[in-house]
Amino acid sequence: MILLRVLDRLEEILIASLMAAATLLIFVAVVHRYASGIDILFPITSAIHLSWAQELCIYMFVWMAKFGAAYGVRTGIHVGVDVVVNQLRPEIRKQVVLFGLLCGALFTAIIGTMGTKFVLGLIDTDQTSPDLEIPSWIVYLAIPLGSYLMCFRFLQVAWSFWRTGELPHHDHGHVEGVVESPQAARDLADQGTIGREAGR
Amino acid sequence: MNAAIIFGLLIALMLTGMPISIALGLSVLTFLFVMTSVPIEAVALKLFTGIENFEIMAIPFFILSGNFLTHGGVARRMINFATSMVGHWYGGLGLAGVMACALFAAISGSSPATVVAIGSIILPAMVAQGFPKRFGAGVITTSGALGILIPPSIVMVIYSVATSGAVVFGPDGGRVSSASISTLFVAGVVPGLMLATALGFTTWYRARKYDYPRMPRASWAERWVAFRKSLWGLLLIVLVLGGIYTGAFTPTEAAAVSAVYAFVIALFVYRDLTWRDVPRVLLDSANMSAMLLYIITNAVLFSFLMTSEQIPQTMAGWIIDAGLGWVVFLLIVNVLLLVAGNVMEPSSIVLIMAPILFPIAAKLGIDPVHFGILIVVNMEVGMCHPPVGLNLYVASGITKMGITELTIAVWPWLLTMLIFLVLVTYVPAISLWLPRALGMM
Repeated sequence: MILLRVLDRLEEILIASLMAAATLLIFVAVVHRYASGIDILFPITSAIHLSWAQELCIYMFVWMAKFGAAYGVRTGIHVGVDVVVNQLRPEIRKQVVLFGLLCGALFTAIIGTMGTKFVLGLIDTDQTSPDLEIPSWIVYLAIPLGSYLMCFRFLQVAWSFWRTGELPHHDHGHVEGVVESPQAARDLADQGTIGREAGR
Repeated sequence: MNAAIIFGLLIALMLTGMPISIALGLSVLTFLFVMTSVPIEAVALKLFTGIENFEIMAIPFFILSGNFLTHGGVARRMINFATSMVGHWYGGLGLAGVMACALFAAISGSSPATVVAIGSIILPAMVAQGFPKRFGAGVITTSGALGILIPPSIVMVIYSVATSGAVVFGPDGGRVSSASISTLFVAGVVPGLMLATALGFTTWYRARKYDYPRMPRASWAERWVAFRKSLWGLLLIVLVLGGIYTGAFTPTEAAAVSAVYAFVIALFVYRDLTWRDVPRVLLDSANMSAMLLYIITNAVLFSFLMTSEQIPQTMAGWIIDAGLGWVVFLLIVNVLLLVAGNVMEPSSIVLIMAPILFPIAAKLGIDPVHFGILIVVNMEVGMCHPPVGLNLYVASGITKMGITELTIAVWPWLLTMLIFLVLVTYVPAISLWLPRALGMM
């Protein structure tokens, strides 16, 4: 079980860092482009080439998307049309939901396998990415790894749903960092009113 | 026939409640394995490279930037500014709520986030001042929907991406290029302001009719202070729109710059956020972005299949043979999207429907930008009515009101939105005037 927790952590750290790194990278590339236009900074900026920034950003986000999708299964963010399912009798609903989860596992397993073949095919060639010139198979390794991880997550969720009947649920109404602030509301209300309520 | 099978399969799979991305992917795979000659390798490649597009990367950046600023502090400052400007008119805090939502929409591309950020402060305040709960809930639920119309808007990025790959032809046989993110953003400004005004008018009218409380008039000095405090947040929209319009940034770069800007503002200027919150915000944004990117990957596959089966072209042929003009077509589109809005959220609808509808629209001579804006306005309506209107659920969480009660509460504003939808649909100038005046198209 400790292994699972390590996996959970690694997954979270990976996607959060990729997000931060990609943002910084593009920001730096933009700053660099404008700094290059300034004569005094030219000796510094001309030594740095960031033409590969876009490409790296895309690859970072591809990796983030694949592993983030697996993380999303765990947090229940992948939304579906649940209007009909929720009308069903509980025991039928349970079977339908399980069917959905297993379809998810099936699909990701198929993609993972297709991805493995694709990557194996690339290893034999010496194809590289256009700007960074890293071997293509490393870039596309995200597909089998991410898809198999996602498959594993679907099975995990299906297993716990089978045993406890609980699904991970992402509350779209919850926005990180927004706390209900009664004080702010009171301050606003205390600014007073005119009209009907004025005499109260 | 093929179209019926693909769609039948997709709908059947979706109704089991499985994630939309999985339903899309599985229906494509099934179709491929069973009944087509499209080589599976071509599809696999599409699946792996589908999101390798720098334009799409604007989505995670805008989500991140919105999440950094969706914190009590920014929303509170915008509410204070809005209250000082319009609080003394009929509608008081309600009217200020509409304006605050419109301002907040300009830094956030998401509607539910707008409802939460503004609603969690302004709704309790309205109740405390003696407004009926219903009134406040109705105002905020619908005004929050401005989040996807006023740029930056994630749904617009998705529309642009979803239609960009297609080779489509206009009525005269000439090639029609799809709408760019920049043009869509600029085109969203006028309809966004108009809808905000219309919602504000409804609020004002009803507040006057029932004589709801108003706020004392703020002095210009107070207004200036409130404006200065909210200025840092407001500058984000200047940065994004200005940067894109002047060509200083591409939309994706603008999104990345605004994410860094939002981070600096939240952490060092407003100090609503501490370093300890940053990993959480990053993880949450990554989670949301990955979900969208995953749907996009599978939707790209789906529309690739649609195109290779010639489905949009066939449908365009029918529509033209049937002699339906653009007026009837747009009516059908709106009804179709409103129905879809009952069961799915905006990004998925746009990803599935736009690649199919766009070639037909182009064939009938409808401008891609106008078409995009009307889809976005239509999506807004879907967010505010049951069974899946996300804004309703969010508002229900804040107000502790039932969905049925909220549904009744929103109707005056929902009706306003529907009238506005008709207007946007049949008056292209509303969407096209500004980008044309600025020479963007």
